[in-house]
Amino acid sequence: MYLQVLINGLSLGSVYAIIAVGFALVFNILKFSNFSHGGVMTVTAYVGFLAAKHLEAPLVLTILVAILTGGLLAVFAEFVAFRRIRRNKGPVIYYFVSSITLGILFENLITIFFSTNFYSFPDFFETSTLKLGEVVMSVSDLMMFLISCTSLIILAFIIYRTKIGTAVRAVSYDFNTASLMGINVNVVIMAVFFLAGGLGGISGVFLGINYTLYPQLGQLVVKGFIASVIGGLGSLHGAVMGAFLLGLVEILLVQIIGSGFAPVFIFIIMLGFLLIRPRGIAGINIQEKA
Amino acid sequence: MDFILSIMVFTSITVIAVTGIFVISGLTGLFSLGQAAFMAIGAYVAGVLAVNYHLSFPVAGFVAVLVGLLAGAIVGLPAIRLRRDYIALATFGFGEAIAALLNQSVSITGGAMGLSGIPKKTGIELAVISALICIFIVRNFKYSKFGRQCIALREDELAAKSMGINVTRVKMVAFLLSAAITAYAGVLYAFYTTYVEPAMFVWTKSAEWIIIIYFGGINSLTGAVFAGILLTSLPEVLRFAAEWRVVIYCIVVIFILNFRPSGVFGEYELSFNWFRKWWKHLKEKKGVMR
Amino acid sequence: MNVLEVRGISKSFGGVKAVTDFSMTMKENDIIGVIGPNGAGKTTIFNVISGVYKQDSGQIFLGENDITNKEQHERARLGVARTFQNIRLFKGLSLLENVSAALDPTARYNIFHNILLSRKMRMEEKRIKEESERFLELVGLLKYQAEKPENLSYGYQRKLEIARALAIKPKVLLLDEPAAGLNPKEVVDLINLIRKISQDLDLSILIIEHRMEVIMELCRFIYVQNFGKTIAYGTPKEIQENEEVIKAYLGEED
Repeated sequence: MYLQVLINGLSLGSVYAIIAVGFALVFNILKFSNFSHGGVMTVTAYVGFLAAKHLEAPLVLTILVAILTGGLLAVFAEFVAFRRIRRNKGPVIYYFVSSITLGILFENLITIFFSTNFYSFPDFFETSTLKLGEVVMSVSDLMMFLISCTSLIILAFIIYRTKIGTAVRAVSYDFNTASLMGINVNVVIMAVFFLAGGLGGISGVFLGINYTLYPQLGQLVVKGFIASVIGGLGSLHGAVMGAFLLGLVEILLVQIIGSGFAPVFIFIIMLGFLLIRPRGIAGINIQEKA
Repeated sequence: MDFILSIMVFTSITVIAVTGIFVISGLTGLFSLGQAAFMAIGAYVAGVLAVNYHLSFPVAGFVAVLVGLLAGAIVGLPAIRLRRDYIALATFGFGEAIAALLNQSVSITGGAMGLSGIPKKTGIELAVISALICIFIVRNFKYSKFGRQCIALREDELAAKSMGINVTRVKMVAFLLSAAITAYAGVLYAFYTTYVEPAMFVWTKSAEWIIIIYFGGINSLTGAVFAGILLTSLPEVLRFAAEWRVVIYCIVVIFILNFRPSGVFGEYELSFNWFRKWWKHLKEKKGVMR
Repeated sequence: MNVLEVRGISKSFGGVKAVTDFSMTMKENDIIGVIGPNGAGKTTIFNVISGVYKQDSGQIFLGENDITNKEQHERARLGVARTFQNIRLFKGLSLLENVSAALDPTARYNIFHNILLSRKMRMEEKRIKEESERFLELVGLLKYQAEKPENLSYGYQRKLEIARALAIKPKVLLLDEPAAGLNPKEVVDLINLIRKISQDLDLSILIIEHRMEVIMELCRFIYVQNFGKTIAYGTPKEIQENEEVIKAYLGEED
């Protein structure tokens, strides 16, 4: 039984991990919590659905469409909602409000065009579950886990081994110095948003496949936020660790006290965490200078 | 006529809630994504006391506001010590927890099916007078040591502490006041619609109120009230655009954050001085024309 | 009894020793300067004294109060006021309100008085307004009381910061590079203002500065910091002739 919980927790964790990393990427570079990420996830999920259902695209193509849509949408979001604030050197709070507003905008647009009906993706796989000994696993969960891990590895490669990745890391440490060193900060930020959006797209489509498609899907971005916080805001590998931890804890809680009361306990645990170790598992304590 | 009266009541109730949010998110700059939960507490406590225990409207309402204050204290104490982003997360979690509790306690609250049979006690006079009183209270708050210290700590918490401001205590007062006001709005709401359900108090409602504040200008109570009135009554009047209401004002807010971040009203506050000057100006114009 | 006594303060950030074993005493109506090359740890000393950073070791006494472990706002209430290297004014508040905000912690009314607009509240508000006007007048900014700080020139903003700090009615005033960014005439104005403050109000002043006119004109005593350590202290004349100081600022002769 515990193995089942572990498997489910890991698979849920892998979804949260992609959401969390997408979220953390933007936090790293612009130092704010991007709540429009959820909206991007929702829109790409629906676009992916359209591709799968009406264009009869196979899984791989659907995912590619999702990555592209998510990436472009995120870049659009940066341009519309965040760029000017950055140019005017507005306070961080404005980014936050702007991102929430954009997220709500996306959610409502989807509601208008698709109404609040629940949709489900067509089946991609012939067998829906696998049985390994005592453990039952759904194929889509397995796929999600594999694709998540693959994406994260590819992302790690990009961030740590390529030129653009180094530029991203430089900008996340110090905006102004990076641009003084000749790095085109705008391009780097666009690249980061594209990556984040792409990851959001993957997570959106998979959430749609695994659960159902509904306009409030994007609210799962909060789980990404929580995972990032647990792992340490500003740390990418922290976000991943936090996400898997969160996935496991959530499955465990649902098992023990049922899905109804789970939010209450998650809130209490989270509050405790924030009070006792706000910098998270891997995060750094940023002290304000006078 | 009835229709117009009901718009006026709902607008008044929204104005009350908006004045509450103005205190905590406008003046003090703390993102409370759980304000709707205080409204839910006010509505449900008063409703349950009236329906199940047959308490009179004033008594039920009074107790509900007290419970709202208590909840504010319980959540506020840990929450205000957190960093900016984390406060949003913690209050969001609080909102979710309350929603989960309300959904689960079916025997007391009717769960997701809601609580009905609340006597209709909120008349147009009570609603409008309450709104005016709340505006009055918050206005006095702004032009007092409380308002000044709130704005100071919002702008620069470090400097505020260095000037002797007990930041934690000031934040707590603001939090409690806004919790009480919002709970009261919930009481009026429940005793007007005679029916409440958890889905009425989702976090997006809290986010909407914050958006209203930013639309009007975080420093301007006049702006907040005006935006609240406009953005609530207008769509009711233009029924056909109801779906697009949220989308439209999201777009407007994003515009504002880009091009006029101080909000539509900026620093402007309606005051008697202003009326006096305007009156004088008119009289002078009349004199010149003669 | 010393107005301020700092004993053996050390503060490191990770591996960087910002301040090592700093000690200092201040008497009534003293004006003391802290100078040194950039990065010498001067602002860190201010931050430790005012409570922004917690020291790794050492103690701080304000009069007979041990403020070593007290919070920032408690130290301010006890009488430690400061200005900041990068001006930190409260936008969204007028000049008058900026100064009032520093007086507000002393206002003796609560939220219920506020809601009912009681007499007590109105009297306290009147007192705060009048005192704020006095402090603005002291630095010569009273006629701009309704303006927003962002609209003022740099020199005026610095004066506002000083007025706000004085509103705490401090025993010790820490001025962090008050002359930075001022033109020569403004610097003379500043020197006169500081002298006036020192004479008229009963307080001691600690100044960090790079502009030597300010330091040499005003300070009775100077501490010279380099790489976190005190390399010299003495009267202005002694400091001017001190070899170590010259080396630190100008480098050695080959």
